[in-house]
Amino acid sequence: MAVIEVEGLVKRYGSRNVVDGVSFHVEEGEIYGIVGPNGAGKTTIVESVEGLRHPDGGTIRVLGLDPIKDRYEITERVGTQLQESRLQDRIRVGEVLDLYASFYRNPADWRSLLDRLGLEGKEDEKYATLSGGQKQRLSVALALVGSPEIAILDELTTGLDPQARRATWDTIEQIRESWVTVVLVTHFMEEAERLCDRTMVVKEGRIVAIDTPGGLVQRLGSEQRLRFRPSEPLDDTVLTALPEVVAVEHNGPQVVITGTGNVIQAVTALLTQRQVIAEELRIEQATLEDAYLALTGQGGASNETGAEGR
Amino acid sequence: MAVTMRITRTEGRLFLRDPLPVFFGLVFPALLLLALGLFFPGFKDPMEELNGARYIDVYAPITLGLGVATLGLVTLPPILGSYRQFGILRRLRTTPVHPRRLLLAQMAVHGAVSVVASVAAIVVAVVGFDLPVPQRPLWFVASYLLSVASIFAIGLLIGALARTTTTGSAVGMGIYFPMLFFGGVWIARGIMPDGLRTVSDFTPLGSAVQAMEDSWLGSAPSFTNLAVMAVYAVVVGFLAVRLFRWE
Repeated sequence: MAVIEVEGLVKRYGSRNVVDGVSFHVEEGEIYGIVGPNGAGKTTIVESVEGLRHPDGGTIRVLGLDPIKDRYEITERVGTQLQESRLQDRIRVGEVLDLYASFYRNPADWRSLLDRLGLEGKEDEKYATLSGGQKQRLSVALALVGSPEIAILDELTTGLDPQARRATWDTIEQIRESWVTVVLVTHFMEEAERLCDRTMVVKEGRIVAIDTPGGLVQRLGSEQRLRFRPSEPLDDTVLTALPEVVAVEHNGPQVVITGTGNVIQAVTALLTQRQVIAEELRIEQATLEDAYLALTGQGGASNETGAEGR
Repeated sequence: MAVTMRITRTEGRLFLRDPLPVFFGLVFPALLLLALGLFFPGFKDPMEELNGARYIDVYAPITLGLGVATLGLVTLPPILGSYRQFGILRRLRTTPVHPRRLLLAQMAVHGAVSVVASVAAIVVAVVGFDLPVPQRPLWFVASYLLSVASIFAIGLLIGALARTTTTGSAVGMGIYFPMLFFGGVWIARGIMPDGLRTVSDFTPLGSAVQAMEDSWLGSAPSFTNLAVMAVYAVVVGFLAVRLFRWE
């Protein structure tokens, strides 16, 4: 069952369409990722779903409700962690949770929420004394304290160190177990890969792909990459003449060859024939990061070369 | 209503955890009056230029007005600015509780602190320096409430528009000091040149101090003073509510 249904969402600022005809469904109980470069419209999309923005076109149903007309009901049933929001420095963890719990008709037990989020024993600490990761987990706790059916988490781990980021991911996996639908806005591919059942990739207000993380990688084809330092200079045209080779790039003394199929054999055979040794040879499979860069057209010169090769 | 009470309690606790506003908003008016009465020569002597009143008599309502202005213009705007800057208002918008209640709570906390600070200053004046208890109590309460309403409205308008703590603070201070001047903090209204006193009558603090002085010492406040405060409260308050930015 779809808990969020968005059809043809349009949002304009001035004459610019920040969101331009976006349609997607989020199923109950899944962790749904929204990824894309800065300014792609991710936050505008989720804020429209939350009812914080009035769309200029399209329809949105959340739990069968209209986020603008049924605003109150949405706030009861959808928990939100907003990008870049903080709390009062001198407020205590227990105080703020107790207060926010009183806003909802079916509040969760905030003490057990603290335990689940790894903040046990912190209720008397002031916000200012918490670490970055603890602040984010408190923010998640506030999004969950009303026992929501959907939790929308925007840029949850931005600015956290890798360790805190991982701890926060564990938290999200915990939420999944309690069968809450999670919408996760992020620009970390690793995060989407680790957590999301499905991910939508947005670019310039439009959806460029919706798929599982694995599916997104597969869209790149079975692309592989060879990276090595040739013992002798190599002419690019010899390499690009091979049918398996898609692109050749240079990274200092390194040659980076992207290709499909039996590109590894083809290249090594060519090197042997020319008596060139491939020093420091590495072979890489495409990752979600690559899929993302390919889909959003980021990655500058290297991608342009790639497009030419195709 | 119960939720607004809970928010007010929490905001009240937060206010009391910040030493600077507690000192300047809560303690300072009484302390200033005490220092003036104890250490300033001639403050307790009847003065010809004040028509026989003592300086302490006219400074008692001035310290009350000063306290209201400190809370309304120095403490309140940066708090509202920070709540916008930190996204606290935005976060509240995603809950079933409208962020309006946080504003109400802040006004209530500042109002309560002002009442305590004013009562403390009145006690110092009456017990320490032989001022009478306010002689026209109803007029006095009305004058005090209008002072709070008109000055807090200005603070709310600054807070309505300030994007950050710093802007809230800077604009509040920029209005606070001229306001104190017209309120008679440096030159009591009784010895102001006529022209200056007329200007002072049209500022909320000038009118507030005069109305509180009159009703404290026994006469009804002038219609002008009350009307000036009422107009500020209604017009500026309306603008603040209309222009308030939630994010």
